[in-house]
Amino acid sequence: MAEHKLLLEHTDDPMFRTLAGYKAKGGYKGLERALKMERQAVIDEVKASGLRGRGGAGFPTWIKWNGIVKDKVGPHYLICNADEGEPGTFKDKELMENTPFLLIEGMTIAAHAVQADAGYVYIRGEFIDSAIAIRNAIDEAYDAGLLGKDSLGKGTNFDLYVHMGAGSYECGEESALMSSLMGERGMPRLKFPHVPLPTVRGVWDKPTIINNVETYACAPYILDKGGEAYAKFGASTKNSRGTKIFSVSGHVNKPANYEIEFGTSLAELLELAGGMKGGALKACVPGGSSVPMINAEDTMKAILGYEEMSDVKSMVGSGGCMFLNEHTCIVTFIWRTAKFYANESCGKCTPCREGTKWLLNTLDRIVAGGGKAGDVELMLDICSQIDGRSFCGLGDAAAWPVQGAIRVFREEFDYYIEHGRSIVQSEASKFMLPGEMLTVAK
Amino acid sequence: MSELLQIGSHNQRPNPPKPDEVEMKFSAIGVSELEILKCQYPEIKACILPALWIAQREYGGTLSGNAIAEVAIRLNRSYAEIEGVATFYSMYNTHHAVGKHKIEVCTCLTCYVEGSYRIWDYLKSKLGVGHGKTTSDGMFTLEEVECLDACDRAPVLQVGDQYIGPVSESDIDHLLEKLRATKESTAVQMADAIVKVHLRNGGR
Repeated sequence: MAEHKLLLEHTDDPMFRTLAGYKAKGGYKGLERALKMERQAVIDEVKASGLRGRGGAGFPTWIKWNGIVKDKVGPHYLICNADEGEPGTFKDKELMENTPFLLIEGMTIAAHAVQADAGYVYIRGEFIDSAIAIRNAIDEAYDAGLLGKDSLGKGTNFDLYVHMGAGSYECGEESALMSSLMGERGMPRLKFPHVPLPTVRGVWDKPTIINNVETYACAPYILDKGGEAYAKFGASTKNSRGTKIFSVSGHVNKPANYEIEFGTSLAELLELAGGMKGGALKACVPGGSSVPMINAEDTMKAILGYEEMSDVKSMVGSGGCMFLNEHTCIVTFIWRTAKFYANESCGKCTPCREGTKWLLNTLDRIVAGGGKAGDVELMLDICSQIDGRSFCGLGDAAAWPVQGAIRVFREEFDYYIEHGRSIVQSEASKFMLPGEMLTVAK
Repeated sequence: MSELLQIGSHNQRPNPPKPDEVEMKFSAIGVSELEILKCQYPEIKACILPALWIAQREYGGTLSGNAIAEVAIRLNRSYAEIEGVATFYSMYNTHHAVGKHKIEVCTCLTCYVEGSYRIWDYLKSKLGVGHGKTTSDGMFTLEEVECLDACDRAPVLQVGDQYIGPVSESDIDHLLEKLRATKESTAVQMADAIVKVHLRNGGR
């Protein structure tokens, strides 16, 4: 049991945030090697590494890169999705603040592989510290000739820009992010197979690659040490290779980012984070708020891997791992989750816009002590009408946690509805609700 | 709708000025920043978000109807389009004038289990205002926000470009005192910082 730090190794070293410090620790070797290789060879190296998208969906990165048109006609764009908004996740923030050059080198490697002319790092508006770190790193890279004119060899330019969001969870969805980058409301767009993939027609209708911060940050290691070396990590899992950063928060003694090899158990991750605080483990939300929660028993046997997590009916997601202790009321926790999605639904499609509000309405009533028999079935019915029927993934992500919690902790919902109060009666749980709701939900 | 449902929703639209009454208030710096930004995208439309950040700084932290009209004129777009974009995003202050300091309290999941509503209730009683409201002296605007993605520091809140956490009630007293003594508006500072990261070497 140990961490395997490929990305987070030098986070404590302030010099690593400067170009000189980064190069002293072996930085830019990956790009150097990549620039000597054919573009297809770079993509093949990524294929050999088995790298999958770290933003939550786990789509094989090389397929995206390989999908871009090889005989270039117009400009190609490269986008980094740094609109980290998933509750419980804070890995991209740390990567950008402490290891900005990993992202920039990774994007430059990708730019070489897909012949991109310009790249945009779309950072969520709140992350000003991250944006400043990225800005300074980009400026340094420009001054050293690693970005801009002739940066990818003579006559091949690659420019990198920072673009800030302005407060919208939905913009983390890739097509909504592209809308937002083009100066529109952050709403999702029609997707494949109804329209061509972004690799054919993406932002400004040009071929576009869009990846998460952590995905790009893996590229320097893969190109420096080789895809096979990277694929050795996580070899015990079915189809998850390499390391993954998990943001551990909630009732643990040492909430922080932990980088572990795929195939590590969730129990080991909990141990790394210093174990539970304030009470025994009750439940775990293993991959950000969108994934179904699991109970203590499943937490102890879960193996972290994209396929392995489905054995316990959950997902790796974005890696935002929240541990909850025995004093947590699941009903009010789900109420807060539902409120998040109701607030963040962009309003484009009816199942999500209306469904998330109805879920919240029902949970508002239950939490306030006015639950009625049949409310659980009502919520499951609403969920089934959102799940798979919404325009983008936000609707699904709103339905899954409710469905998951009802599946695992059904008796808590039934108790709350019958008695008008939570089954959990502890000092800690009393203060969970806002004041105006406390008066009704005794 | 209950107050609890209103995070991020803008139920009041800014008042548009009459077309011939729009005042152009951007400073020379703001104008030159916008010119640099126009070269960073293949289409001028993409400048809308950063231009709104410039406007938010130039107009003291609030996007009034006049601010939106000025952005529309400078980018040669319609008022309706700019207003539509501005009102979608929760960090653009279009719905009301914000105070000198905007305190954004995260009450989302991890912060929630760590007792963020206790912090929220404390701030509400201390300032005497609710969600999205400004104190009568124009000093503080209070907002309940969704996940700030600093869950390792829960419960966390954001003032200007600073994350503060984990916070307790006594930290709040301390913070309010410190902010009252701060000369500059942290709401404007935040918009300024965001504009600067778009530009190489901060636009210098």
